[in-house]
Amino acid sequence: MAGKVVLFLVRLAVAGVFLYAGVVKIWDFRHGHSATPDFTVAIQHYRLLPSPDLAVLLAVYLPWLEVTAALALFVRRVALGAATAAAGMTAVFLIAVGSAWARGLDISCGCFGKNEVPINYPTLVSRDAVLLGATLVLLVAEARRGNKQIS
Amino acid sequence: MIRALRQLVVVLGLALLPALVSGAIQLQWNAVTPVSRDEVTLATVHHWGDHVLWVDARSRAKYEKAHIPDAVLLNEDEWNSLVHTFLDAWDPDVPVVVYCDGGSCDASHAIAERLRTEFKIEKVFVLKGGWEAWPGK
Repeated sequence: MAGKVVLFLVRLAVAGVFLYAGVVKIWDFRHGHSATPDFTVAIQHYRLLPSPDLAVLLAVYLPWLEVTAALALFVRRVALGAATAAAGMTAVFLIAVGSAWARGLDISCGCFGKNEVPINYPTLVSRDAVLLGATLVLLVAEARRGNKQIS
Repeated sequence: MIRALRQLVVVLGLALLPALVSGAIQLQWNAVTPVSRDEVTLATVHHWGDHVLWVDARSRAKYEKAHIPDAVLLNEDEWNSLVHTFLDAWDPDVPVVVYCDGGSCDASHAIAERLRTEFKIEKVFVLKGGWEAWPGK
């Protein structure tokens, strides 16, 4: 019982983080316009993509994937896929931030939309590592649940 | 494993639908309004013949490291001491363009807003993309 409650809280926390991160990357509530241009610039600051067009495509798609994954975590039929997507995205974020840190880039994270201060790398890497851990917990739990249903 | 991949494809596909709609809407918008209300692109500034007063809203350390030629430093931290330098350089006939670090900074918008409200300066704009947009930085 306690395990189920903990798992529900982890699911709620992960879904909350992804939902919030996705929504503020779609719409800039403070300035009342689309947040896509700012997120595109934030992606470009990482200097990982070969073309600005790819940054635009990613800036349009990634926030919706975050929102969809957050909501799908509560839908049994696709919860495993959502946990996989959440873990995959977090791993990619971690690699991108680690790479920026290694190259000494003085940029803002872009993780939660505009209005962010330059990255505090140790804090951000720790935060992403915790988030990755939480998504992996969900991934394992969903995989086990599926195996039980099959057997 | 196969179950996870199958569900992942479903999630990726579900996210694709709103992303396509959102992308299409924004493409239409951008054709009409390339930048938001008070922002200008570097191309627009060049189109003005570069007759603008640049205002650097970043920290003093960053300004001293490098800045747009002839830009005056004016940030929130040192507003009271720096605003006189700005007013000395300001010409009512010349647009003011404020910049900060890049796309994800708010300092330029904050400084532009203060110039509008405190000094009733109308021709104040924010450089789209900020310092990151400046070539050869």
